[in-house]
Amino acid sequence: MKYLFLILLAFFSIGLSAQQKQFSKDDNGKFIYYKVVDSQSLNKDTLLQRAKAFVNIAYKKSMVQESITDSSVMAKGTMVIDKTILVAGHPSGEVSYNFVFEARNGKYRFWLTDLLFIPYQRDRYGNFVATTKIGVPLEKTPGKLGAGTWKDILNSAYNKIEKFGDEFKKYLATNRLEKANKKAETISTKKW
Amino acid sequence: MKKLLTAIFAMASTTCALAQETTTSPLEISGSVDTYFKYDFAKNPLNGKTSFVTDHNSVSLGMIDIALKKKTGKASFVGELSFGPRGQSQSIPDAAAGGSSFNIQNLYVNYDFTDEFSMTAGYMGTFIGYEVISPVGNFNYSTSYLFTNGPFQNAGIKATYKFSDKVSLMAGLFNDWNVYSASRGVSAVGGQLMVAPVEGWTAYINALSGAGFGGYGTIIDLTTSYQITEKFKLGLNAANYDIKDSAVPGSYAGAALYPQYAVLDAVTLGLRGEYFKYKAAGAVPATAFTAVTLTANIKAGGLTFIPEVRLDHNSDKPFFKEGGAAAPNGGQFSLAAVYAF
Repeated sequence: MKYLFLILLAFFSIGLSAQQKQFSKDDNGKFIYYKVVDSQSLNKDTLLQRAKAFVNIAYKKSMVQESITDSSVMAKGTMVIDKTILVAGHPSGEVSYNFVFEARNGKYRFWLTDLLFIPYQRDRYGNFVATTKIGVPLEKTPGKLGAGTWKDILNSAYNKIEKFGDEFKKYLATNRLEKANKKAETISTKKW
Repeated sequence: MKKLLTAIFAMASTTCALAQETTTSPLEISGSVDTYFKYDFAKNPLNGKTSFVTDHNSVSLGMIDIALKKKTGKASFVGELSFGPRGQSQSIPDAAAGGSSFNIQNLYVNYDFTDEFSMTAGYMGTFIGYEVISPVGNFNYSTSYLFTNGPFQNAGIKATYKFSDKVSLMAGLFNDWNVYSASRGVSAVGGQLMVAPVEGWTAYINALSGAGFGGYGTIIDLTTSYQITEKFKLGLNAANYDIKDSAVPGSYAGAALYPQYAVLDAVTLGLRGEYFKYKAAGAVPATAFTAVTLTANIKAGGLTFIPEVRLDHNSDKPFFKEGGAAAPNGGQFSLAAVYAF
């Protein structure tokens, strides 16, 4: 009986961890990916400079800066989401977003919202390209026929945005200048 | 021609040496499978005057199509193979080995020298026209006269320069149409100007001059589509092909209009209206077709059901009645299922 209880508990735990993550909704009922990050060692100007560099250098191919103030950066961007078949797959579409960053001394917050999905289709040359320029809001409830596909799109979009958020946090925590000046570590085999 | 080729290769190799490697993408695998049922209203399979959907009162095969793509740094390749009547014997007029050897849809390598400039060499889906061989790339399951009479694929080398997201230009040298290796040398020159004047509207102005169907000729083609609203899309294809030797039949001109309207999330209705004319050649008189095709696309995940009714007309009576007598009209119903992955 004890073992049965433990097995059930294990299944229950696996079930909980396998639950798919979902977007939260903002005051307007729109999906939002929102993070507040404590960054005690960094002042507002440093955070702002790094956020600007992230948009205009690190992600310059997929993001466009819209506006900037002394404590915020706003940008638009797109990210390609994939359809995976085991280890291989292909792009299934892109999600466009509005990105907002706000900094204070020792902390910052950022969010992505206005998420629109544009499906890709394989063109005559075997490349996946956008079939339309008009995006579909991710909040939209699909009909029964497309429900499964839409769920996959939401999962892919969430995972991609979460990865984007992690990269942004890592970028803001890293001093690029120090990293660039630091010599690549060499290993000597002469002494040991 | 040799000097031009040498210049292109020299430029390519120089720029190649300067290029920096960037990222590697995973291997992309995609493709489709399609099957159909067609019923000709006169019970005569010969009434189909355009490509594919040939069989009457039969559940028949389209093709299985498998495409691979890989990008390493700035270099990429695409290899796309198809098996089945649509991709093999029905895709090329003079297929070798009893019409069963033609199964390469795309086989090319590409190099992005910069974000704006790229070069591609190999065997590629043609840049001419609105419709393509793959049923995934078309809204209608049956095909237009313009598609059937134009090139399907072009082997060659082409350079593309993207001036902006709204304008790009392609120029290239090609073999004759639909062949893996040139029978008359690298004998055609082609180009494509892409313009996107407003959001959702893209137009391609294409030209291809050289060895093609019926000898040497020149085709000028306009292919455009405009997503006017979230639900309504309008496409247009117009083309003119002139064979240099005016006594050889095969020159044509035509236009097709493609309005499509999404009535539900998963259901889109579309119409194809086409006018197509074979020009007079020597003793062969001109003859003209008009065709109207009403199609629905019903999507359920990766599967698309395509019910379609098609009516064709030609006053020269190339169609057949049920008893075999010549008729000015042809008509058919088809239901296709296309799965894309």
